[in-house]
Amino acid sequence: MIGLELAVHEAIASVDDPEYPGVSIVDLGLLERLDVGADGGVRVGLIPTFSGCPALDMIKADVAAALAAVDGVRSVEVVWLSAQVWSVDRIDAETRAAIGREFTVSIRMPDGRSLCPLCGTETVELSMFGPSRCRSVHRCEACAETVEVMRS
Amino acid sequence: MSLSDRSHAIELILAFADDKHLMGQQHAEWIGVTPFLEEDLAFCSIGQDELGHAALLYELLVDEDDEAAIDGAIDALAFGRSADEYRSCHFVELSTDDWAEAFVRHWMFDLADRLRWEAVASSTNEALRDIAARVEREELFHRMHADGMLDVLLESDEGRCRLRAATEKMAPLALAMFEPVEGETQAVADGVIDRPFAERRDEFVAAVEARVGPIDWGEPPSQDGRRVRSADWAPLMARMREVFELDLEARW
Repeated sequence: MIGLELAVHEAIASVDDPEYPGVSIVDLGLLERLDVGADGGVRVGLIPTFSGCPALDMIKADVAAALAAVDGVRSVEVVWLSAQVWSVDRIDAETRAAIGREFTVSIRMPDGRSLCPLCGTETVELSMFGPSRCRSVHRCEACAETVEVMRS
Repeated sequence: MSLSDRSHAIELILAFADDKHLMGQQHAEWIGVTPFLEEDLAFCSIGQDELGHAALLYELLVDEDDEAAIDGAIDALAFGRSADEYRSCHFVELSTDDWAEAFVRHWMFDLADRLRWEAVASSTNEALRDIAARVEREELFHRMHADGMLDVLLESDEGRCRLRAATEKMAPLALAMFEPVEGETQAVADGVIDRPFAERRDEFVAAVEARVGPIDWGEPPSQDGRRVRSADWAPLMARMREVFELDLEARW
C-alpha cells in the first residue's frame, strides 16, 4: 500500500507544468489532495493557478496518463478544486531558485517585492499583465534585463 | 451542487455567468488592436479570467458525471441557448470600436462586479462561495489595472474629456447590472446572497463619480429582468459561435 502511494505520488510529480518544462506541478504547489484506495482507485485534487489558465486540460490529461501507467492503479479521477485558492507561497525555495535560473522568472515574495533572478536587485514593474495570466513584466534597473514575475 | 440547492439560484448564477462570458468575449476582441501592447496583454489576461469564471459558473448548472458530457453541457449552456434564455445585461452585449468606451466598460464592469460578488462572499451556497473567493482574488488585478490606467489618463485634458464622454455613454447600461434577477428575493431569504444587488447601486455611482466627477446617468435600458436581448447580442453571439459551429461534434 505504501509502495503504491509512493509510486502514485512519483507519477504525479513526473508531470511538468507546460509553462516550465522540467518543473514539476507538485513543486509548484498544484497538488492539494491525493487519495489512493486499497482497490487501486486514485483520486487527485489539483488547484489551478488561475481559473482561466488554458493549460488546465493539458495538465489534467498528463496527470491521468502518468497515473494510468502505474502498476496497481485501477482507476483514476483528476479534478480541479475551486475551493482552494493557489498562491505563489506554495512554491518551495528550491523551485523558486530553479525557475529563476532556468527561465529568468522571478517569484514574487510574500512582502510583495520581487528580485532579479540574475543579480538579486529589486525589480520595477513595467506591466501588471504579461505573456501568461500568472506573470507580469518587470525590469531590473541594475542589469537592464527584462524579468517576468510570477505572482498570485 | 444538488438540484435543490441551486434551483432558487439558477437565474442568479446565469446572470453572473452570462455577463462574464460575454465580457470575456468583448475583451478578447480587442487583442491585437488595442492602442498599445500593455493593454493588449491586460485585455487578454482579464478576458481569460472572465471566461474561466464563466466556465466555473456554468459547471454549477450541469448535471453530468462523465467529463466529456460535462464539457458538452457547458458548451451547450455557453453557446447553445436561444436568445431569450440568456441572462446577460445589455452593458456586456454592447459592441464598440472605441477604445475609450472599451476601457471604461472594463473599469465600470469590474467595479460593479465586485459589489455584486461581495453579496456572495458569505453565501450559504458553498460552491458559489468558493467561486466568489477565487473571483475576488483574480479580479483584484483587474481593478488595479483599471485604476492605474485611470490615474494616467485623468492627468491630461484630452484624457479627462474622453473618459467622461465614454463614462456617460456607458452609465445607463452599467446601472442596469444591478437590476434584480428572477428569484432574487428568495435568494436573499435563503442566504445565497446577503442583500439585493440594487442596494449596492449608490456605492457604484459614488465610486464612478469619485474618479470622473458628477455625470448624467441617463435612463437604464429596459431589460425585463435580463430576458430581453439588445440589438448587439445576435451579431456578438454569431461571432462567438463561428468556430464552434464549424463542427458541432468536435471536442475542444
